[in-house]
Amino acid sequence: MTLGSDLPQPSQALAGASGAQAPPPRGMPDAPPWHAQYGDIIPRQLPPPPWPHLPAALRAAAQRYGAGIAFTTVMPNGMYGSLTYAEVDRASDAFAHYLRRVCGLEAGDRVAVQMPNCLSYPVAVVGILKAGCVVVNTNPLYTPDEMKHQFIDSGAKAIVLVDLFADKLESVLADTPIQHVVLTKVPEFFPPLVKQITYGVMKYWNRVIPAHRLRCVGLPQAMAAGTRAAGGATVDAYHAGATHDDIALLQYTGGTTGVAKGAMLTHGNLLWNLSQVQAMTGSHIAEGKEVVLTALPLYHIFAFSVNFLTMYLAGARNLLIPSPRPVQRVQRALENYRVTWLTGVNTLYNALLNEEWFIAFPPKHIKAAAGGGAAMHQAVVQSWERQVGAPLVEGYGLTESSPVVCFQPLHGERRQNTIGIPAPMTEIRLLGDDGAEVGAGEPGELCVRGPQVMAGYWQRPDETAKTIVDGWLHTGDVAVMHPDGTFQIVDRKKDMIIVSGFNVYPNEVEDVLSRHPSVLEAAVIGVPNEKMGEEVQAYVVKREADASAAVLEAHCREHLTAYKVPRKIVFRDELPKTAVGKILRRELRKEVLGGS
Amino acid sequence: MLTELETKLLGILMIIIMFGMGSSLTFKDFAIAFRKPHAILVGMLCQYGLMPFIAFSLAVLLRLPPEYVVGLVLIGCMPGGTTSNIFTYFSKGRLSLSILMTVCSTLMAIVAVPLTLGLYSRGLEGDWGIPPSEITKLLFVLLVPTLLGIALRKFNANAGAVMELVGSVFGVLVIVFLLASWIPRNWALLMSTGGSVYFVAIALGLFGFAFGYLLSRLMRIDSIRARTISMETGIQNGPLAILIVSMTFLDERQALVLLIPILYSIFIVLTSTAITFYYRWLTLREEQARDRAKIGLIGAGA
Repeated sequence: MTLGSDLPQPSQALAGASGAQAPPPRGMPDAPPWHAQYGDIIPRQLPPPPWPHLPAALRAAAQRYGAGIAFTTVMPNGMYGSLTYAEVDRASDAFAHYLRRVCGLEAGDRVAVQMPNCLSYPVAVVGILKAGCVVVNTNPLYTPDEMKHQFIDSGAKAIVLVDLFADKLESVLADTPIQHVVLTKVPEFFPPLVKQITYGVMKYWNRVIPAHRLRCVGLPQAMAAGTRAAGGATVDAYHAGATHDDIALLQYTGGTTGVAKGAMLTHGNLLWNLSQVQAMTGSHIAEGKEVVLTALPLYHIFAFSVNFLTMYLAGARNLLIPSPRPVQRVQRALENYRVTWLTGVNTLYNALLNEEWFIAFPPKHIKAAAGGGAAMHQAVVQSWERQVGAPLVEGYGLTESSPVVCFQPLHGERRQNTIGIPAPMTEIRLLGDDGAEVGAGEPGELCVRGPQVMAGYWQRPDETAKTIVDGWLHTGDVAVMHPDGTFQIVDRKKDMIIVSGFNVYPNEVEDVLSRHPSVLEAAVIGVPNEKMGEEVQAYVVKREADASAAVLEAHCREHLTAYKVPRKIVFRDELPKTAVGKILRRELRKEVLGGS
Repeated sequence: MLTELETKLLGILMIIIMFGMGSSLTFKDFAIAFRKPHAILVGMLCQYGLMPFIAFSLAVLLRLPPEYVVGLVLIGCMPGGTTSNIFTYFSKGRLSLSILMTVCSTLMAIVAVPLTLGLYSRGLEGDWGIPPSEITKLLFVLLVPTLLGIALRKFNANAGAVMELVGSVFGVLVIVFLLASWIPRNWALLMSTGGSVYFVAIALGLFGFAFGYLLSRLMRIDSIRARTISMETGIQNGPLAILIVSMTFLDERQALVLLIPILYSIFIVLTSTAITFYYRWLTLREEQARDRAKIGLIGAGA
């Protein structure tokens, strides 16, 4: 298991020479072009993270910001519950004791966490890390079969599960290695009366809490048992031996291309990546003063690294939204708190910009917003910046890279429709089909090397070998580099449509479609065609009832070369999406081709 | 007759209900809603244009004596009741519109109730009229908890949401309180009361539902919103009318005037329940039709 931080870093040597913002000396033509864009704001070189492992970093933050509020869960009606940094620290200690002393887990054992955003999430995750165990982030919307696969594959011995999905676990539990089930509630850690009311509404009014016969223990009881068993001992011994090379997180991915694989993200990967995010965003983060809206699920790597880890270490207050769809459910959170930062995917920003309440009173204190997960549409970015008056920067990353690789810089001019520039200490190469680097301005597969690149896929050496070649992570995304070092994703390699031998990238067509005022969302796929090989088809959700295919086709003809114009435009009420709101072209293709 | 203690208790309950109702939304919600005021304006037209007129027409057509007319017209002029929100929720209507209409009509009541009541009770003989200044005073007192509630929702969402719930619970308690305390004592009166009184007490709500829906559709409101407005139009703040009567008529006339407001308050629970089931069925049917259309579209797209 190699780790990025141990790899020789060419940029390290380079930055050492060019340190203190001096121009790179002659004879070093290899200075990556994007360094010029770092300006005086983004450091070219980052010192290694000062902590040996995540628990040390999290503990340091808790001691520094003790009485500050770390997390607030905001329900759709505005009801809320909060935990301070000190409370998260104490509760996670208790939970760590429970895992080690009551369940008898060992360092390195896997513990699954399966819940929407709520106060139990940070308590469980920090507790698992303090116990020296490995967090297995699990999407709560998984089907029982998907859960079973993930629990068997990861070898999870314990799980912290929200009661909303207890029946799903019950149906597969016997087939998994899980021995200990800890159950929690969305309003866990809420003030007494508010907790009972919120829970009562969920159980008896909305009836979303299923009956089950799981043998389990409640999170508060587990914490109490842990504290009793510890008898005053500290948690330090549980993770004392951990290093940057030890796995902290198994983040499953690739369920889209086949069977889900667990990306092994180490303490070093995550600590480095949060340093890199800090370096890219530090100009817009005031320590201890930020309020971050976390509508993306924390079980997704983007929210996990950026919202949770980076912002926790910056002393921010995280507003956790258990379920942001429909997007009206974040209204009270945006109204009742001075939100300064938010992260999201294109669909979230688009949805917000289509809400009357958001447009009428756009939040006033936003400093910056970050978009990722899928390509941002320029119409959405422009509309956001006009309405909110703060930058919406697009980033790029993968589960396999903890996740941040590139971000548009918050300072200076931004080149729209790009993923910005690589984070410090990150190297990028664009490779052609022949495996050699492509020429300037030509598209090639984006490959990444840096301390944030995963150690590999859990127990899948051949998959790892296919993905990480000589230390370079092959992303499967096709990109071009502009002369100034800004990167632009052209598309997913496998989503590319080939019309009579011409490459059509769905992103480009979708972007044009969504610029039309009557289009709310659009997805573009390739469908087999006898004459042309493939033809372009667009699936559109209308904003206004009177939109017609003819009008949209004319609009496309105006902005696109003929072969890129959709042959067929179909109107739909909705498009298939992932849990975070990424539009699933593959699902759409399956629906369309399977239904004919 | 309500005893003095009962009147006071009813007054306190009303203050709590109004506070809870106010807590259901923030001032910003108003500002946002009034950017597209069409539905809410139609709703207010139904509330203060249609309902008082229906009440008055029923009184005229059935040639009711003045002691009944005053109770009936008073109910017709009342703002929307808080229970409408619960029924709207269960009927799968637009809860936000329902809440907004209830709070809006309550805030407007201080002007609208004396105006409409004055207009439709002009012809009343003798001293059966209710002095508008008394109503204004009472509504002003109730305006304070409503506004405090609205402020609380913004200031502390937890306390606001809890108060909203407490208000709804008390809204139901008031009806239970009436059933338990008033009916047994007035059994003889209820037995000797003519059928026309029962008829108008039930018909007012039903006509409110029907004409509220028709007028909304006529004003180009979509069917789901029209059903919400219909529900809101039919369901009046009965307990508020009872409070007004018991504070205005302090002699033996009170029992007669109270008859229609109390009967209305009891029967509206039953009729609303029936309408809720009907509207819920309609909404589900529309949703299914839309789903079928969607599946058809996917088939066509392939």
